[in-house]
Amino acid sequence: MNALQQDIAQLIIDTLNLEDLKPSDIPPEQPLFGQGLGLDSVDALELALALQKRYEIQIASDSRDARQHFATVASLAAFVEAQRAACAN
Amino acid sequence: MIALQIALQIAQWRAWAPSLETGEAWRQWAAQPWTPADQGEQPDCGFLPSMQRRRLSRMARMALEVAWPLCEEDEQLPFVFASRHGETQRTYALLGDVADQQPLSPTQFGLSVHNAIAGQWSILRGQRGAASAIAGEADTFEHAMLEAATLLDSGAPAVMVIIAEERPPSAYDGWIDDVPFSYALALRVGKPRAGQDASSTSRWQLQLSRNVADTGATHTTHGAWPYALDFLRALHEPGTPLEHTWKTRRWIWQPLP
Repeated sequence: MNALQQDIAQLIIDTLNLEDLKPSDIPPEQPLFGQGLGLDSVDALELALALQKRYEIQIASDSRDARQHFATVASLAAFVEAQRAACAN
Repeated sequence: MIALQIALQIAQWRAWAPSLETGEAWRQWAAQPWTPADQGEQPDCGFLPSMQRRRLSRMARMALEVAWPLCEEDEQLPFVFASRHGETQRTYALLGDVADQQPLSPTQFGLSVHNAIAGQWSILRGQRGAASAIAGEADTFEHAMLEAATLLDSGAPAVMVIIAEERPPSAYDGWIDDVPFSYALALRVGKPRAGQDASSTSRWQLQLSRNVADTGATHTTHGAWPYALDFLRALHEPGTPLEHTWKTRRWIWQPLP
Protein backbone atom coordinates (compact mmCIF):
# COMPACT_ATOMS: atom_id res chain seq x y z
CA MET A 1 0.00 0.00 0.00
CA ASN A 2 1.57 3.37 -0.96
CA ALA A 3 1.35 6.54 1.13
CA LEU A 4 -1.62 7.99 -0.76
CA GLN A 5 -3.54 4.71 -0.58
CA GLN A 6 -2.84 4.54 3.14
CA ASP A 7 -4.02 8.13 3.50
CA ILE A 8 -7.24 7.45 1.59
CA ALA A 9 -7.96 4.32 3.60
CA GLN A 10 -7.60 6.37 6.80
CA LEU A 11 -9.84 9.11 5.36
CA ILE A 12 -12.52 6.49 4.62
CA ILE A 13 -12.31 5.18 8.20
CA ASP A 14 -12.46 8.65 9.77
CA THR A 15 -15.13 10.08 7.48
CA LEU A 16 -17.46 7.09 7.64
CA ASN A 17 -16.83 6.42 11.32
CA LEU A 18 -15.69 2.81 10.83
CA GLU A 19 -14.53 2.63 14.41
CA ASP A 20 -13.15 -0.92 14.49
CA LEU A 21 -11.05 -0.71 11.29
CA LYS A 22 -7.41 0.18 10.52
CA PRO A 23 -6.12 1.22 7.05
CA SER A 24 -4.55 -2.23 6.64
CA ASP A 25 -8.06 -3.74 6.95
CA ILE A 26 -8.98 -2.13 3.62
CA PRO A 27 -6.71 -3.72 0.96
CA PRO A 28 -6.20 -1.36 -2.04
CA GLU A 29 -7.91 -3.77 -4.46
CA GLN A 30 -10.88 -4.67 -2.25
CA PRO A 31 -14.24 -3.38 -3.58
CA LEU A 32 -15.52 -0.59 -1.34
CA PHE A 33 -19.19 -0.85 -2.28
CA GLY A 34 -21.65 -3.70 -2.15
CA GLN A 35 -19.67 -6.89 -1.62
CA GLY A 36 -16.34 -6.15 -0.01
CA LEU A 37 -16.28 -3.34 2.54
CA GLY A 38 -20.05 -2.87 2.16
CA LEU A 39 -20.38 0.89 1.71
CA ASP A 40 -23.54 2.36 0.19
CA SER A 41 -24.62 5.39 -1.85
CA VAL A 42 -24.78 7.76 1.14
CA ASP A 43 -21.20 6.78 1.96
CA ALA A 44 -20.23 7.62 -1.63
CA LEU A 45 -21.60 11.16 -1.25
CA GLU A 46 -19.88 11.58 2.10
CA LEU A 47 -16.61 10.26 0.72
CA ALA A 48 -16.73 12.53 -2.35
CA LEU A 49 -17.15 15.53 -0.06
CA ALA A 50 -14.23 14.45 2.15
CA LEU A 51 -11.95 13.83 -0.86
CA GLN A 52 -12.73 17.26 -2.31
CA LYS A 53 -11.94 18.96 1.00
CA ARG A 54 -8.83 16.95 1.74
CA TYR A 55 -7.15 17.00 -1.69
CA GLU A 56 -8.67 20.21 -3.05
CA ILE A 57 -9.94 18.46 -6.14
CA GLN A 58 -13.21 18.67 -8.03
CA ILE A 59 -15.49 15.67 -8.49
CA ALA A 60 -18.32 16.16 -10.98
CA SER A 61 -21.40 14.44 -9.55
CA ASP A 62 -22.63 13.43 -13.01
CA SER A 63 -19.34 11.92 -14.10
CA ARG A 64 -19.97 8.64 -15.89
CA ASP A 65 -16.61 7.41 -14.63
CA ALA A 66 -17.38 8.03 -10.94
CA ARG A 67 -18.38 4.41 -10.40
CA GLN A 68 -14.96 3.22 -11.57
CA HIS A 69 -13.06 5.90 -9.64
CA PHE A 70 -14.82 4.93 -6.40
CA ALA A 71 -14.47 1.16 -6.85
CA THR A 72 -11.41 0.61 -4.64
CA VAL A 73 -8.80 2.46 -2.59
CA ALA A 74 -6.34 1.91 -5.47
CA SER A 75 -8.69 3.42 -8.07
CA LEU A 76 -9.44 6.37 -5.77
CA ALA A 77 -5.72 7.00 -5.29
CA ALA A 78 -5.16 6.95 -9.06
CA PHE A 79 -8.11 9.32 -9.53
CA VAL A 80 -6.84 11.74 -6.85
CA GLU A 81 -3.38 11.79 -8.45
CA ALA A 82 -4.83 12.45 -11.91
CA GLN A 83 -7.05 15.26 -10.57
CA ARG A 84 -4.17 16.85 -8.69
CA ALA A 85 -2.04 16.76 -11.85
CA ALA A 86 -4.91 18.28 -13.86
CA CYS A 87 -5.41 21.06 -11.29
CA ALA A 88 -1.67 21.80 -11.15
CA ASN A 89 -1.54 22.45 -14.90
CA MET B 1 -63.17 19.61 34.02
CA ILE B 2 -61.33 16.52 32.89
CA ALA B 3 -60.49 16.70 29.19
CA LEU B 4 -58.96 13.29 28.93
CA GLN B 5 -58.46 10.13 30.93
CA ILE B 6 -56.43 7.11 29.88
CA ALA B 7 -55.13 4.00 31.62
CA LEU B 8 -51.73 2.50 30.86
CA GLN B 9 -49.62 -0.38 32.04
CA ILE B 10 -45.83 -0.04 32.16
CA ALA B 11 -44.74 -3.59 31.41
CA GLN B 12 -41.00 -2.84 31.35
CA TRP B 13 -38.68 0.14 31.34
CA ARG B 14 -34.99 0.87 30.79
CA ALA B 15 -33.10 4.12 31.15
CA TRP B 16 -29.65 5.45 30.35
CA ALA B 17 -27.74 8.58 31.38
CA PRO B 18 -24.03 9.24 31.95
CA SER B 19 -22.97 7.04 34.93
CA LEU B 20 -26.55 5.76 35.28
CA GLU B 21 -26.52 2.55 33.28
CA THR B 22 -28.05 -0.07 35.57
CA GLY B 23 -31.36 -0.59 37.32
CA GLU B 24 -29.56 -0.32 40.65
CA ALA B 25 -27.99 3.04 39.69
CA TRP B 26 -31.44 4.35 38.74
CA ARG B 27 -32.94 3.05 42.00
CA GLN B 28 -30.39 5.12 43.89
CA TRP B 29 -31.01 8.10 41.65
CA ALA B 30 -34.79 7.78 42.15
CA ALA B 31 -34.39 7.71 45.93
CA GLN B 32 -32.27 10.87 45.97
CA PRO B 33 -31.82 12.40 42.52
CA TRP B 34 -28.69 14.29 41.52
CA THR B 35 -27.30 15.75 38.30
CA PRO B 36 -24.61 13.44 36.94
CA ALA B 37 -21.72 15.09 35.08
CA ASP B 38 -22.30 14.85 31.32
CA GLN B 39 -19.03 14.58 29.41
CA GLY B 40 -20.46 13.26 26.20
CA GLU B 41 -20.28 9.60 27.22
CA GLN B 42 -22.39 7.33 25.05
CA PRO B 43 -23.56 3.71 25.21
CA ASP B 44 -21.48 1.41 23.01
CA CYS B 45 -24.47 -0.45 21.47
CA GLY B 46 -22.25 -3.53 21.22
CA PHE B 47 -25.25 -5.58 20.03
CA LEU B 48 -24.77 -3.94 16.61
CA PRO B 49 -21.91 -4.65 14.19
CA SER B 50 -19.71 -1.58 13.64
CA MET B 51 -20.93 -1.10 10.03
CA GLN B 52 -24.44 -0.56 11.45
CA ARG B 53 -23.28 1.63 14.32
CA ARG B 54 -21.39 4.10 12.17
CA ARG B 55 -24.28 6.48 11.47
CA LEU B 56 -25.76 6.45 14.95
CA SER B 57 -25.57 9.77 16.75
CA ARG B 58 -25.10 9.87 20.49
CA MET B 59 -28.85 10.32 20.92
CA ALA B 60 -29.58 7.41 18.58
CA ARG B 61 -27.20 5.20 20.59
CA MET B 62 -28.91 6.21 23.81
CA ALA B 63 -32.34 5.46 22.36
CA LEU B 64 -31.34 2.09 20.86
CA GLU B 65 -29.47 1.04 23.99
CA VAL B 66 -32.58 1.39 26.17
CA ALA B 67 -35.14 0.16 23.61
CA TRP B 68 -33.28 -2.83 22.18
CA PRO B 69 -34.09 -5.58 24.75
CA LEU B 70 -37.68 -4.43 25.30
CA CYS B 71 -38.77 -5.70 21.88
CA GLU B 72 -38.59 -9.42 21.12
CA GLU B 73 -36.73 -10.58 18.01
CA ASP B 74 -39.89 -11.88 16.30
CA GLU B 75 -42.20 -9.10 17.44
CA GLN B 76 -43.59 -6.03 15.65
CA LEU B 77 -44.34 -3.07 17.94
CA PRO B 78 -45.53 0.45 17.13
CA PHE B 79 -42.80 2.94 18.02
CA VAL B 80 -43.12 6.40 19.55
CA PHE B 81 -40.00 8.57 19.68
CA ALA B 82 -40.32 11.75 21.72
CA SER B 83 -37.84 14.53 22.28
CA ARG B 84 -38.54 18.18 22.98
CA HIS B 85 -35.26 19.47 21.57
CA GLY B 86 -34.08 16.66 19.29
CA GLU B 87 -30.53 16.50 17.98
CA THR B 88 -29.37 19.96 18.96
CA GLN B 89 -25.68 18.98 18.75
CA ARG B 90 -26.02 17.74 15.17
CA THR B 91 -28.20 20.64 14.05
CA TYR B 92 -25.86 23.19 15.63
CA ALA B 93 -22.85 21.67 13.84
CA LEU B 94 -24.75 21.88 10.51
CA LEU B 95 -25.66 25.51 11.17
CA GLY B 96 -21.97 26.20 11.84
CA ASP B 97 -21.09 24.72 8.43
CA VAL B 98 -23.76 26.89 6.80
CA ALA B 99 -22.36 29.99 8.53
CA ASP B 100 -18.84 29.08 7.39
CA GLN B 101 -20.13 28.44 3.85
CA GLN B 102 -18.91 24.86 4.04
CA PRO B 103 -20.68 22.06 2.16
CA LEU B 104 -22.99 20.05 4.42
CA SER B 105 -22.35 16.41 5.22
CA PRO B 106 -25.07 14.36 3.44
CA THR B 107 -25.19 11.91 6.36
CA GLN B 108 -25.50 14.61 9.03
CA PHE B 109 -28.09 16.48 6.99
CA GLY B 110 -30.14 13.37 6.21
CA LEU B 111 -30.17 12.25 9.83
CA SER B 112 -30.92 15.64 11.36
CA VAL B 113 -34.69 15.19 10.95
CA HIS B 114 -36.75 14.40 14.02
CA ASN B 115 -37.89 11.00 12.79
CA ALA B 116 -34.36 9.77 11.91
CA ILE B 117 -34.06 7.63 15.05
CA ALA B 118 -37.46 6.05 14.41
CA GLY B 119 -36.23 5.26 10.89
CA GLN B 120 -32.99 3.75 12.15
CA TRP B 121 -34.90 1.62 14.66
CA SER B 122 -37.18 0.42 11.85
CA ILE B 123 -34.23 -0.53 9.60
CA LEU B 124 -32.04 -2.11 12.28
CA ARG B 125 -34.87 -4.12 13.88
CA GLY B 126 -36.89 -4.88 10.75
CA GLN B 127 -39.88 -3.07 12.22
CA ARG B 128 -42.52 -2.38 9.58
CA GLY B 129 -45.31 -0.93 11.74
CA ALA B 130 -46.34 2.57 12.77
CA ALA B 131 -43.65 4.94 13.99
CA SER B 132 -44.24 8.45 15.31
CA ALA B 133 -41.77 11.19 16.21
CA ILE B 134 -43.04 13.82 18.63
CA ALA B 135 -41.66 17.14 19.81
CA GLY B 136 -43.85 18.78 22.44
CA GLU B 137 -43.04 21.29 25.12
CA ALA B 138 -41.94 20.55 28.70
CA ASP B 139 -44.75 17.96 28.79
CA THR B 140 -43.48 16.08 25.72
CA PHE B 141 -43.45 12.94 27.89
CA GLU B 142 -47.20 13.10 28.53
CA HIS B 143 -47.89 13.71 24.84
CA ALA B 144 -45.84 10.62 23.99
CA MET B 145 -47.87 8.54 26.43
CA LEU B 146 -51.07 9.93 24.91
CA GLU B 147 -49.80 8.87 21.48
CA ALA B 148 -49.12 5.39 22.89
CA ALA B 149 -52.66 5.24 24.29
CA THR B 150 -54.16 6.03 20.88
CA LEU B 151 -52.06 3.23 19.32
CA LEU B 152 -53.20 0.79 22.02
CA ASP B 153 -56.77 1.90 21.44
CA SER B 154 -56.49 1.09 17.75
CA GLY B 155 -55.49 -2.47 18.58
CA ALA B 156 -51.73 -2.59 19.21
CA PRO B 157 -50.93 -5.19 21.92
CA ALA B 158 -48.06 -3.04 23.20
CA VAL B 159 -46.21 0.13 22.23
CA MET B 160 -42.54 1.06 22.51
CA VAL B 161 -42.12 4.61 23.81
CA ILE B 162 -38.71 6.33 23.86
CA ILE B 163 -38.06 9.71 25.44
CA ALA B 164 -34.58 11.09 24.78
CA GLU B 165 -32.88 14.42 25.36
CA GLU B 166 -29.28 15.45 24.93
CA ARG B 167 -27.42 18.29 26.64
CA PRO B 168 -27.48 21.05 24.02
CA PRO B 169 -24.44 23.09 22.90
CA SER B 170 -23.74 25.97 25.31
CA ALA B 171 -25.04 28.46 22.72
CA TYR B 172 -28.54 27.33 23.77
CA ASP B 173 -27.98 27.93 27.50
CA GLY B 174 -30.28 30.94 27.58
CA TRP B 175 -33.15 29.05 25.97
CA ILE B 176 -33.01 25.41 27.02
CA ASP B 177 -33.24 24.92 30.77
CA ASP B 178 -34.96 21.55 31.07
CA VAL B 179 -32.16 19.13 30.11
CA PRO B 180 -29.96 18.92 33.24
CA PHE B 181 -28.16 15.95 31.69
CA SER B 182 -28.54 13.71 28.66
CA TYR B 183 -30.94 10.82 29.18
CA ALA B 184 -33.07 8.25 27.41
CA LEU B 185 -36.00 6.30 28.80
CA ALA B 186 -37.72 3.40 27.04
CA LEU B 187 -41.10 2.18 28.20
CA ARG B 188 -42.96 -0.85 27.00
CA VAL B 189 -46.54 0.27 27.42
CA GLY B 190 -49.73 -1.80 27.35
CA LYS B 191 -53.36 -1.61 28.39
CA PRO B 192 -54.09 -2.60 31.98
CA ARG B 193 -56.39 -5.61 32.02
CA ALA B 194 -58.55 -7.09 34.75
CA GLY B 195 -56.87 -9.94 36.59
CA GLN B 196 -53.46 -8.96 35.24
CA ASP B 197 -50.60 -9.82 37.49
CA ALA B 198 -49.14 -6.38 38.09
CA SER B 199 -46.99 -4.75 40.69
CA SER B 200 -48.25 -1.64 42.43
CA THR B 201 -46.04 0.64 40.32
CA SER B 202 -46.95 -0.52 36.87
CA ARG B 203 -50.59 0.50 36.29
CA TRP B 204 -51.39 4.17 35.91
CA GLN B 205 -54.22 6.48 35.05
CA LEU B 206 -53.32 9.68 33.23
CA GLN B 207 -55.73 12.59 33.42
CA LEU B 208 -55.57 15.87 31.57
CA SER B 209 -57.47 18.89 32.80
CA ARG B 210 -57.17 22.64 32.40
CA ASN B 211 -54.42 24.23 34.45
CA VAL B 212 -56.42 27.01 36.11
CA ALA B 213 -53.25 28.44 37.66
CA ASP B 214 -51.98 29.27 34.18
CA THR B 215 -51.84 33.02 33.72
CA GLY B 216 -50.88 32.99 30.08
CA ALA B 217 -47.31 34.04 30.85
CA THR B 218 -44.79 33.00 28.20
CA HIS B 219 -42.65 31.18 30.70
CA THR B 220 -44.28 28.68 32.95
CA THR B 221 -42.27 26.74 35.42
CA HIS B 222 -41.50 23.09 35.13
CA GLY B 223 -40.38 20.72 37.85
CA ALA B 224 -36.81 20.18 39.05
CA TRP B 225 -36.45 17.08 36.86
CA PRO B 226 -37.69 16.40 33.34
CA TYR B 227 -41.18 14.89 33.51
CA ALA B 228 -40.07 11.57 32.04
CA LEU B 229 -37.47 11.18 34.79
CA ASP B 230 -39.92 12.37 37.40
CA PHE B 231 -42.20 9.55 36.26
CA LEU B 232 -39.28 7.14 36.48
CA ARG B 233 -38.90 8.20 40.12
CA ALA B 234 -42.59 7.50 40.70
CA LEU B 235 -42.12 4.00 39.27
CA HIS B 236 -39.83 3.40 42.26
CA GLU B 237 -42.21 4.84 44.84
CA PRO B 238 -45.36 2.75 45.05
CA GLY B 239 -48.56 4.69 45.47
CA THR B 240 -47.25 8.16 44.70
CA PRO B 241 -49.41 10.29 42.41
CA LEU B 242 -47.71 12.90 40.23
CA GLU B 243 -48.80 16.24 38.90
CA HIS B 244 -47.14 17.81 35.86
CA THR B 245 -48.32 21.18 34.62
CA TRP B 246 -47.34 23.20 31.59
CA LYS B 247 -49.15 26.30 30.36
CA THR B 248 -52.86 25.41 30.12
CA ARG B 249 -52.33 21.70 30.74
CA ARG B 250 -52.48 19.89 34.06
CA TRP B 251 -51.55 16.22 33.85
CA ILE B 252 -52.17 13.94 36.82
CA TRP B 253 -50.64 10.48 37.06
CA GLN B 254 -52.53 8.28 39.53
CA PRO B 255 -51.35 4.76 40.35
CA LEU B 256 -54.09 2.18 39.77
CA PRO B 257 -54.61 -0.67 42.25
